[in-house]
Amino acid sequence: MSLRQIMLVLAAAVAAALLTMTLGRFGAFIVYTVAIAATGALALNLLIGWCGQISFAHGALLGVGAYTAGNLGNAGADMSVALIGAGAMTGLVSVLVGLPALRLRGLYFGIATLAAQVILEYLFKLLEPLTHGISGLLIEPAPLFGLAVRTDRAYAAVAIGVLALCAIAVSRLMQTDLGRRFLVIRDSEMVARGMGINVARTKLWAFLISGFMAGLAGGLLAFTTRIAAPEAFEISLSVDYVAMVIVGGLGSIAGSIVGACFVVLLPETVQRLGELVGISGQVSAIRDLVFGLLIILFLIFEPRGLASLASRSARRLVAFAARRRAPGDTRPASDKGKTPLKAA
Amino acid sequence: MKAKIAGIALAAVLAGAAQVHAADINVCVWGTITGPDALVNGMAYGARDYFEYLNQTAGGIEGNKVKTLLLDGRYKLDEEQKIYRRCVSEENAVFINGWSTGAVKSLRSQINSDAVPFMTQSFASDVLDPKNLPFIFMAGPTYEQQLIIALRDLAAKGGKSVVIMHANNEYGRAPVDVVRKSGQIEKLGLKLADTIEFPYDTQDLTAQLLRVKSINPDLVYVQASTPQVLVVLRDAAKVGLPAKLFMGNAYNLSPAIPEQLTKDAEGFRTIQIYSDYGSDIPAMKDIAAFGAKNPIEKKDPYYMKGWYEGIAMAAAIRSAVKKAGGVPGDIVAFRKSVRDEMEALQALDVGGITPPITYAGHQGTTQARISEIKDGKYVPVGDWIRAE
Repeated sequence: MSLRQIMLVLAAAVAAALLTMTLGRFGAFIVYTVAIAATGALALNLLIGWCGQISFAHGALLGVGAYTAGNLGNAGADMSVALIGAGAMTGLVSVLVGLPALRLRGLYFGIATLAAQVILEYLFKLLEPLTHGISGLLIEPAPLFGLAVRTDRAYAAVAIGVLALCAIAVSRLMQTDLGRRFLVIRDSEMVARGMGINVARTKLWAFLISGFMAGLAGGLLAFTTRIAAPEAFEISLSVDYVAMVIVGGLGSIAGSIVGACFVVLLPETVQRLGELVGISGQVSAIRDLVFGLLIILFLIFEPRGLASLASRSARRLVAFAARRRAPGDTRPASDKGKTPLKAA
Repeated sequence: MKAKIAGIALAAVLAGAAQVHAADINVCVWGTITGPDALVNGMAYGARDYFEYLNQTAGGIEGNKVKTLLLDGRYKLDEEQKIYRRCVSEENAVFINGWSTGAVKSLRSQINSDAVPFMTQSFASDVLDPKNLPFIFMAGPTYEQQLIIALRDLAAKGGKSVVIMHANNEYGRAPVDVVRKSGQIEKLGLKLADTIEFPYDTQDLTAQLLRVKSINPDLVYVQASTPQVLVVLRDAAKVGLPAKLFMGNAYNLSPAIPEQLTKDAEGFRTIQIYSDYGSDIPAMKDIAAFGAKNPIEKKDPYYMKGWYEGIAMAAAIRSAVKKAGGVPGDIVAFRKSVRDEMEALQALDVGGITPPITYAGHQGTTQARISEIKDGKYVPVGDWIRAE
């Protein structure tokens, strides 16, 4: 991502944050829910999409972030300190979760992360002085850089800001040597070793960075919901995040955001459609079914994710527009005016 | 001519506004229509059905139709948080009937700042605080009060010693700690022979029940969820302890217990706050009339709880509408007025579902009675008992 693109992303984030100021509470809630989910999905995408390490412990890692941020916030820390603390703690726990990745690969590692998810869930219930057990930790609103953040609109602005910073960070990361090492490991660990890459260390970096971002998302979740309870970070949340990454597009920043939009907004859309046609009661029972069905359809017909579908559609649209402008000339719009090369 | 057209247009607009004004009483109900707590979701259906019953039989409240939105919180915190915001800011609900303890706890400061009357399905004392949480109302005795009711029943029957078994989570521990520290047990002339904590996901309690057997108490009160009560009663039968020795809280009034344990559940007692569906009470006549024209999703005591909540919420809304001479156009003022009227409800007749309710303390009733499993069915035994 060039400096110009970074400025564009930041400008878009500022515009989006300003736009949320015009929304009602429900609209602002949806915006920050999507933004937090997109941050979490981006974290998981770094691990799965760019580094090839499947993880089913993401929901619990968000929980670690939520409890850490909640405890720090309740202790009087500024939200920025609480979020960074949540990121640091979750990064460390994520490294621990990733340790089996040094010995296991693929589905075997996936199962190991599943075990980590279960262990963390159990710890959330057990470590009562820190988590308040099954009843959950109530979280007081914390100021951000001394400014009060209490409304849904304010939380939406903060969540958009965090998402933008994470998206820029991931984009920059993928241009560094470390980012490129992630890609080599994803494609072949054997080749990576042959190239002299320290596979173990590189994987742990991926877990650390992914965990840090998951911690940020978890921390935001804590401040927005005002409670961190074990039931909010169960395996179903991990599955939701894996679904976001797959539906949105593996190894894509846009895919993480689009996937989060899809997973967060689809149930609500189905619910509203059901209410429109007067079958809301039945819809609540079948909306998970609709959700699952759509994911299966995506996996069959668009395995590269919604982001890929969107970019392909955009390219086709541009080509179609170009053809309409010059029916005889089938070259892309960018090539118009150039002299065609002669065949050798 | 122009003035005439403008006059007609203005009259039409005003007439339209008046019509909308007259039909605008929005109430939001969310429950676990699907999800882990769906067994007791009759509470959500009961409240919705009561408002629909008013619409069908009385044209709503004071001639204003009630638009009741029933939503599925799925016992998921994020979903319930979303629904709450929808109810407050999109649906402009004047009263919200919400579900899980976790959601209410996380929303309590927002409920305060939104100043929206909120009827919670929770019995947790953390959300009952008329002074600091003036907009949250409950529909019966807290878990602590339910335990005290059980102890009063024991004392009245000449019992001397009690053992309390509870799960090792806050739902299990907190009410027991509160009652123990309050000195209520000793005041009633009872002796707390032992307190036995067990894992909330327990699969075997044989050792703990052998301990109970050696103590030989007059009552074993179980503060736990129904799956744990099933384990308690199963293992009690294994070590030769009768189910009649055990008593659970209001959420253990579950058909799953007699269905799964059959004869081993015979004699098990629970706290019953609401009359059972089908009881010989006046409210049942209204429910039957409603049921004659509409499907009733759940026919159990939890549905009765929902119907009771509907009666209470409607009474407060009715008083507020009467006082304002119609539905107030300002939702903030309307909500505030409904809250005040809710708190002012005195000895409101709820058709025998519970004794008459008073909401000065935000609970409606602090009474319950004991129900016992006889021939596979819960049967009320004895009269209403006060917690205070």
